[in-house]
Amino acid sequence: MIRGAIAIFRRDFKKFISNPFVIVFTLVMPIMYLVIFGNAMGGTITHIPIGVVQETPPYNDTPLFTAGTAMLRHYAQPGDPRLFDVTVYTSEDRAKRALEDGKIAGVVVFPAEVSSDHAVRLYVDSSDYMTPTLVQAGVTGSLRAIGSDNAVLINKIYGDITYIQFFGVGVIVMAIFMTTMMGGGIALIKDREMGIHEGYLVTPVKRTSIILGMIMSGTVRATLSGFIIFVVGVLITGVIVRGFADFFLAVLVIIIASVGVTSLMVSIASRFNNQQEYASTTAFFNLILFMTSGAFYPTIGMPDWLRWITVINPEWYSVHALRSIILRGQGLSVIMPDLIALLVFSSAAIMLGITTYRRTLE
Amino acid sequence: MTGQDNNGPDTSGIPGSGEGAGTHPRASSGSPQEICPLTAGESIIRIDHITKVFSDRNRTVIAVDDVTFDVKRGEIFGLLGPNGAGKSTLIRILTTLLSQTSGTACVNTFDIKKDPEKIRGIIGVCPQNSTLDVELTAYDNLEFYGKLVNVDDSILTRRIHELLAMADLSDRALMPVSSFSGGMRRKLEIVRAFIHHPLILFLDEPTIGLDPESRREVWQQIVRLNDENTTIILTTHYMDEAEKLCNRIAFVDKGRLISLDTIDNLKKLIPTGDIIEIGCEADTGALATTITTLPQVTSAQARKQKLVVTARDGSRVIPEIFALFAKQGIAITSFSVRPPSLEDVFIYLTGRKLDDGSTEPAMRNARGGRR
Repeated sequence: MIRGAIAIFRRDFKKFISNPFVIVFTLVMPIMYLVIFGNAMGGTITHIPIGVVQETPPYNDTPLFTAGTAMLRHYAQPGDPRLFDVTVYTSEDRAKRALEDGKIAGVVVFPAEVSSDHAVRLYVDSSDYMTPTLVQAGVTGSLRAIGSDNAVLINKIYGDITYIQFFGVGVIVMAIFMTTMMGGGIALIKDREMGIHEGYLVTPVKRTSIILGMIMSGTVRATLSGFIIFVVGVLITGVIVRGFADFFLAVLVIIIASVGVTSLMVSIASRFNNQQEYASTTAFFNLILFMTSGAFYPTIGMPDWLRWITVINPEWYSVHALRSIILRGQGLSVIMPDLIALLVFSSAAIMLGITTYRRTLE
Repeated sequence: MTGQDNNGPDTSGIPGSGEGAGTHPRASSGSPQEICPLTAGESIIRIDHITKVFSDRNRTVIAVDDVTFDVKRGEIFGLLGPNGAGKSTLIRILTTLLSQTSGTACVNTFDIKKDPEKIRGIIGVCPQNSTLDVELTAYDNLEFYGKLVNVDDSILTRRIHELLAMADLSDRALMPVSSFSGGMRRKLEIVRAFIHHPLILFLDEPTIGLDPESRREVWQQIVRLNDENTTIILTTHYMDEAEKLCNRIAFVDKGRLISLDTIDNLKKLIPTGDIIEIGCEADTGALATTITTLPQVTSAQARKQKLVVTARDGSRVIPEIFALFAKQGIAITSFSVRPPSLEDVFIYLTGRKLDDGSTEPAMRNARGGRR
């Protein structure tokens, strides 16, 4: 009995040792989790962009406005960098537009009359997680620090949004990623192991056709799963989709995101011929891309080096676009940059897939 | 069967002994080949000094070592050799799956390096390891492949049914391939390779691992396909298969071409000639010595109740041997004359048995490496 057990142990262990790639990845993964997850979730949120504006008339700055703006500029929790990046707007409309476009996280409107019975109005972007609360605390704290006892009227421009609604949008992108990376990629590598790709290679079918065919099937699968999670998520989290236009726009984003993620998967998976190695790599990509997508936690809380990843992260653009549509009801004009980024990313991934797919064995 | 010429070594083949395998009668003329010289001539494949080296960090394996030969239009050509001799590698190079390290090869006017796409359009390939999708039905497999190789949609359905009938699988058309036996899968894969009427069909070990009944069916199929004017190139390490099917045979060992000729001519290579076995009750020690003195006899050995004689043109010596037996008054209980088998030829040429797989250079290994 022991002999057999030892034989099996030795065989398994030999295989484990013989694959350094997997060993390294299994060890690196927890460390990566520590660094990325830790930094992504635990970071202190600072430098929140907000706008300040003075009600008109009068056209001269009131003392409250001057003192309040100065205080907000320097307001900080003990030991932290300052909380706000303050922009002064000259008209309330312009400030609110910036807020709606997501350029700033809140607008502080100081009253024209300095007397304490005029309230300071605060508009916050409630579709974000954490920042509304911080803005609110910072503004009331600053006012108290300058000795003002004006009331603060808080206006959540997107109503009350719970965390589950905030996170629910991210889960749609997660579904797309999981379907392609886990389902599609493994199936692709299995096909290769079974020699089905060798069968393709002896036919006149072009490399471009092979890649495009695989991307097409993967995209349909990913779109379906993204769509299902979108519908289920709406039901579970109780988000209200404002109309058919928003609904179709969300589906459009899901489709484009699926193309992007699938193309990335195909170009990665066509380099691997070992399921284990592929699974390790995928877990790594999943960690990096999902953590920096802003699905869990606002990216504003991340350290700069991590925030740079969001610039090339298709998931960040997908999450941002979906959140704009679903939670904020914003239209094509706001998500256009996201769509362009996703399309650029998809084209690059498709090109990469086509150029790296080997037309021969070896 | 297509025209098979038995009259001596021909110009395109490699005559006789292994040493001749390096020179090509026509290739050396003039500048480096500008275009493949094969037009409507009798050769459909020309391989010219092809070498393939696999190397990784630890070692280098020469899988194909300076091989040169032609394949004639319409023949069944056999690549025969032990496991790991380089047969599959050569097939992979000709089917554009691998690129050669050096040398050139032409497949029906197309250079394998310059026009791989065009070659893929005129060949059918049945690789050693199945490339069928076992989750799909037989019909779906054929349909999928038919689309990949550009079979016109209007004739595809009819063609698929034709092929299923050819492979005796019509009644299982809509069953998943995973429910098929090894022989059925093999037959399906061979007809699949034939779906677009390729000019050349490559079969890599078509009957490996099949039972005798299935092998016979696969052989019948191969002959049937050859009757439709398809040139067939098959690799095998089974002697009987090569002997039954092939017009000409190339012996390959350790990546080198050892010899190439028709089966009859190959057998003439063995200088000892045919093998004659005569059964008898008495002791034949003295008789053996006498028989050795006959002019055509190359050896005679007395064994237990049997005398084994080798002689050139064996059947002509028999009357003389019989006469000697009669003179000694020894009764013959049985006798047989057989030409040397291909196996005998191979052993004679390489000094090793064919099934001796000990020289396998790790080609699967090299193929399975990081792509």
